[in-house]
Amino acid sequence: MATVEERVKAITARVLGLELDEIKSEHSFTQDLGAESVQSIELVAMFEEEFGIEMDEDAALAVETVGGAVEFITQVCRQQGVELEE
Amino acid sequence: MGKAEKLHPLVDSEVPNLLEQIFPYSLPPLIRFDSPVIEYIDGEPVEFDFSSVKDRELLITDTTFRDGQQARPPYTVDQMVRIFDLLSRLGGPNGVIRQTEFFLYTKNDRETLDRCRALGHKYPECTGWIRAVKGDFRLVQEAGLKETGMLTSCSDYHIFHKSKFRSRKECMDKYCEVVDAAFEAGVRPRCHLEDLTRADIDGFVLPFVDRLMEMSRQVPARQSVKIRLCDTMGFGISYPGAELPRSIPKLIYKLNRECGVPSDRLEWHGHNDFHKVHVNAATAWLYGCDAVNTTIFGFGERTGNPPLEGAIFEYIALKGGLSTSLGAGLCGIDTMAITELANYMRSIGLPIPDNYPFAGRAFNTTSAGIHAGGLRQDERIYNVFDTERLLGLPPRIAITDKSGADGVAHWLNELFGLKGDERISKIKVHKLARWVMDQYEQEGRLTAISDQELEAKAKEFYPDYWQKYKS
Repeated sequence: MATVEERVKAITARVLGLELDEIKSEHSFTQDLGAESVQSIELVAMFEEEFGIEMDEDAALAVETVGGAVEFITQVCRQQGVELEE
Repeated sequence: MGKAEKLHPLVDSEVPNLLEQIFPYSLPPLIRFDSPVIEYIDGEPVEFDFSSVKDRELLITDTTFRDGQQARPPYTVDQMVRIFDLLSRLGGPNGVIRQTEFFLYTKNDRETLDRCRALGHKYPECTGWIRAVKGDFRLVQEAGLKETGMLTSCSDYHIFHKSKFRSRKECMDKYCEVVDAAFEAGVRPRCHLEDLTRADIDGFVLPFVDRLMEMSRQVPARQSVKIRLCDTMGFGISYPGAELPRSIPKLIYKLNRECGVPSDRLEWHGHNDFHKVHVNAATAWLYGCDAVNTTIFGFGERTGNPPLEGAIFEYIALKGGLSTSLGAGLCGIDTMAITELANYMRSIGLPIPDNYPFAGRAFNTTSAGIHAGGLRQDERIYNVFDTERLLGLPPRIAITDKSGADGVAHWLNELFGLKGDERISKIKVHKLARWVMDQYEQEGRLTAISDQELEAKAKEFYPDYWQKYKS
């Protein structure tokens, strides 16, 4: 099973129409990767679907970077009892 | 210049001050006064206390069937009866909408009057409208009306160039003969001072009104002359310091306090040629006219008249709520009838612009995503008052490429009637939001998306919700 980071990057690439190697952990979704308003919502929705979790809307949308998303999703998965590849 | 005269320290707070004493939300924002107004008249300061409007019997009169009809093909009898019925409901049993006036010249005019009266409403009272011609009183008498408006045009444009009088005296004598004829017929005359805001006030208007007041003293009070101040061309100005004949404060002062026409016999009739029509009418209320003459949705000759529904909300705002003038119980206004009137007028082909206040289809609709975000959090942020409670029309979102997920989420929740914790989060609306964006980015669309289109997509993307809330 892929790691959380790999899965987050794969979804980000798919939703934003980017190549995987263009996405770095420190990248901001909006400023560096060009995510628009609706794409931010799509990213959150896709992360929920991918990991089988439900995220607080405001908290999820406040996450700015790819690395931040990995951390946030890992934390939510633990809270909701979802197993992850380390 | 540049040096501060007074410093204003921040009053820090962690609790919002929403100024609810002015913006109660359940009502339109209230109009409160914290000082009197001084107007210089003939070089002397005169004080007006606007806060007294709370204790005065402010009234709305209607001319939808007279001036309103001068702007369009005639209404059918059935249409006028329906509108009259809704006017009565809107103004309530205490007669905030006190009177409406009818032409009396054709068989249809008279049938309409009969059928409206047959409804049995106490208000609005039916009055007539005739030319300043003695023979016309026969029509008023035959119709059994107690009051009629009559043209008494008072600018020299009308006296000399339209009516072709040889002198002002000849004009005044002629008008007074007709007023006498009204008295003889047992009818109360309401003299419409046409083109007042372009008239010679000292030279003709005040002497004429003095004479009318003198004549009124010879008849029972119920027949004493009423004065309608007609701003026929929309020249009236509300600003303090403006000069006559355009100054509304000075016109009212002269008639009210110099000529002695009581406030309950003064009525303002405006036109919207300079976009001043509603505020001019409200100004007339403040300075001492008890009645403002209006039409539904401002529909009247040329640019129209003061909008009746605007006067209704002004009334509530000035009175501080829906109580009567005397504070004894509710005034009885039913603002929901405005929406019913708008729907009815649209159904009979009267166009109401979408952005028209209180009645247009989109008057409380936003298409900006950032505003939709505000509405989603607290509708008070971008809605002028509780439009659902007072008009049956909750704030809405028009969906375009500017709406964002916030706008789409608001629209969807309104569609399903979801409130509070039941509301669908914007994360859950991503499919519909994506479809909306693709309409513009992929399909090159340039128009807003209709409710029908969105509903079809909502049914497709959210079948469970559709089944639960729309089936």
